[in-house]
Amino acid sequence: MTSGTITADTARSRRSLLFPSVVSGLVLGVAGGLLAAFAVSRFASGDRALDQVVVAGYAGWTLCFFIGVGAFHHPVRWGFGRAEPTHREERELAGEGQGAWRYFRFTTDHKVIGIQYLITVLVLFLVGGLAAALIRLEQSQPGARFLPPSTYNTVVGVHGIIMIAATIIMISGPFGNFIVPIAIGARDMAFPRLNALSYWLLFAAIPVFLSTFALGGFDTGWTGYAPLADQAPAGMDAYAFTIVLFGISVAIAAVNIITTVVTLRAPGMRWSRLPVFVWGIMLSVLLGMIAFPSFMLAEVMVLCDRVAGTSFFVSAFGGSQWLYEQLFWFMGHPEVYVIALPSLAVVVEMVSVFSRKPVFAYRTVVGGMIGIALVGCIVWAHHLYTSGANTPFDGPFMLTTELISVPTGVVFLVAIGTLWRGKIWLTVPMLFGIGALVNFIIGGVTGLYLADVPTDEVFHGGMFVAAHFHFTLVGGMVFGFFGACYYWFPKMFGRRLNETLGRWHFWLFEIGFYGVFLPLFYAGLHGEPRWLAYIPPKFAGANLIASMFFGLLIAGVSVFGYNIVSSWRSGPVAAANEWGGNSLEWTVPSPVPLENFETLPVVTASPYDYGGEASGPEVTGPSGPVTAPATEA
Amino acid sequence: MTQRPGSGRSDHHLRNVLVWWVVLSVLAEIGWLVAGPLLMPAAASSDAVFANTTIVVFTALAIPVALFVWVFMAYSLIRFRVKSRPSEAGPHLVASNGQQIAWLGITGALCLFLVIWGLFGMYQASTDPPGRPLIVDVTAQQWTWTFRYPSAGVSSNQLVLPVGRPVEFEVTSLDVVHGFDVHAFSVRLDANPGSVIATNIVTPTRLGSFSVRCVELCGLYHAYMWAPVKVVSDQDFAAWLRDAAQGSRGGAGA
Ligand SMILES: [Cu+2]
Repeated sequence: MTSGTITADTARSRRSLLFPSVVSGLVLGVAGGLLAAFAVSRFASGDRALDQVVVAGYAGWTLCFFIGVGAFHHPVRWGFGRAEPTHREERELAGEGQGAWRYFRFTTDHKVIGIQYLITVLVLFLVGGLAAALIRLEQSQPGARFLPPSTYNTVVGVHGIIMIAATIIMISGPFGNFIVPIAIGARDMAFPRLNALSYWLLFAAIPVFLSTFALGGFDTGWTGYAPLADQAPAGMDAYAFTIVLFGISVAIAAVNIITTVVTLRAPGMRWSRLPVFVWGIMLSVLLGMIAFPSFMLAEVMVLCDRVAGTSFFVSAFGGSQWLYEQLFWFMGHPEVYVIALPSLAVVVEMVSVFSRKPVFAYRTVVGGMIGIALVGCIVWAHHLYTSGANTPFDGPFMLTTELISVPTGVVFLVAIGTLWRGKIWLTVPMLFGIGALVNFIIGGVTGLYLADVPTDEVFHGGMFVAAHFHFTLVGGMVFGFFGACYYWFPKMFGRRLNETLGRWHFWLFEIGFYGVFLPLFYAGLHGEPRWLAYIPPKFAGANLIASMFFGLLIAGVSVFGYNIVSSWRSGPVAAANEWGGNSLEWTVPSPVPLENFETLPVVTASPYDYGGEASGPEVTGPSGPVTAPATEA
Repeated sequence: MTQRPGSGRSDHHLRNVLVWWVVLSVLAEIGWLVAGPLLMPAAASSDAVFANTTIVVFTALAIPVALFVWVFMAYSLIRFRVKSRPSEAGPHLVASNGQQIAWLGITGALCLFLVIWGLFGMYQASTDPPGRPLIVDVTAQQWTWTFRYPSAGVSSNQLVLPVGRPVEFEVTSLDVVHGFDVHAFSVRLDANPGSVIATNIVTPTRLGSFSVRCVELCGLYHAYMWAPVKVVSDQDFAAWLRDAAQGSRGGAGA
């Protein structure tokens, strides 16, 4: 009954295409920002005037951007008691009949939003990667060579915060939006308009953040420690305001994803049949929802200190730097598990599919991920071992920090158990999944020294720490993201990525990655501090090697970028079930139709039931029950 | 959770992989115990020696664990790999309760060992050596260090210490958070504005030149915030204090 095609009223569509859209959003947003800044500049005075003008401008930009992009259209209509949107209007809002233009509008279709997130994440990685290139350039030679210290500090901070933001959303954003609703058998997210809002909040934060370059940058690094943040140039306001927008975006996305998974699962999709990937996404955003508000709050306080002259973090007036540090790390450590959970879940998913074997211990690995999310909330104070703040915390937090390796270790038991005696098909996504596991072990082991209070005194604030968390976040998690890209690209774009290029990407990146960070472990062990615009000659050798291997990372990423663009334009058409997976996203055609399923599926088995009694889950499709066999040739 | 009885062929795989694991672990341990200590940085205090030992021991413990995973994965990828899209499913093999409990138990026990080791290290670092420590007030500001010896009324831009005498640093900052760190002593504490906090008491054990580095990003010239550390004999230290005291008095008059 739903298949009767509704021909879009093209004239009407064309009229409403430009308004509302990102174009009208940008126009109104810039105008609103300038207007607000101008209005406040009439009243602002004293040495906080610039901060007041800048923050007013950001507020004006945000409000007017959302008016322009059409975010308020339906809430206002609803608030004034107008008629509920018709089914046709809902489909229009979901982007029906707008072609590529729907990616530039406040479109509610979760698949459009997933692709918007994916492109945005790739762009953020590109900007963050350029900043990394500048860092490696500066540190390739001892002394201050290429960048003045103020620029260098800003570049380090920009690299850090962009990469952290991008890794937080890199899987939950693109694949959490695109894949999760399909994988649980839903037609869309629970709150499609909030979904669009969360994406466009992220979008609106990016120009705010980039404006830091015009305002003198910020010299605090990604951690934004106060009271240094209180005295930083006006570029600091950009950082703080970005975090506030980003935090709201993350919270809205989290509420949406959790509600979707809890309420919109297809009949028969019991919790025990939920794909591990969906568990990973849900637990990750839940953890983010708990952790992120404290960072947002800290940045609101920084803005108050800077704009209104309060003294949350000024010790001379009763404030405390430790307050900032506690609030920051209360987000800062759970956040690495926010990044880790989806990535590990993708890896477990791929290992099962490409070994054609059940997840070795489904309940235990889900329990392990729940354990990571719980214990992840109580490890933050290990970042404050050497801050002088709270000696009584040191022992208990050393315990929790080392304890969290137990639930994390379950993932490895499951990985090796699932691979064992499997029919291992080493595709490109599988290659990245295996790489993630191999690299993550090194990241985990080097974390042991940092969890230990006495040895942390050797490493804290040094290059060893930087190398360690790059091994977890890049070696472990970004490899998982790359795997997810190769795994779901055929589903999202209906085309295959080139396999040879994919293998080149893997090996260039893997070798380059070890070449960059192993020397930095060594330099850190021997006392190189982080954040140096000026490398002492003692560490020149290690840093030069690291900088040279960075070239391989650039090569690997270029191959990846070329692969995406060329395959998207002219790659071979992908099959609906490209890899022989059993979860629901492989039962719908590629590209996926607007409402995903013609008839909602009924789930009767776990997606990992390889080699079991039934050779795959039975899914009731439009033409009666169809089996998605694990073994199709 | 059930497990199919392993066939003879699977036992043979299991034996192979365990042999590989043991052999590689033994080789890696020998390699690490020879090369590891050589990789460690110079240690000029007992705390730093202990930190280096900790790194060597933790790594030695981690090697067989990491290799267990790596060897299992590598063996599987080599022996069980199929060249093209698999036409049939693998065996329906899921973990037995025993395997899971063993895994959790072993990783849990290793973690517990690390925690106990760490608590012992913390206890050792916090026990004060006999004798009255030399007090040095450390003041950080953007972007220099000042070291004051209150017992002698001396301040200096370099940290000079007598060998073998316990020393306690009282650390503060005049502006933002800095990180006071003498890597060779394994002593490290943030310099916080508005509070003076004492480090653990450390005893320099080696004559020589080292450095204080700032390890918290503290603004524009963070990278330049180093100060020299000299560990000298008792006589040299006394002579240096005398000279410096005269210099300070002269400086104070100017
Ligand atoms: Cu400093």
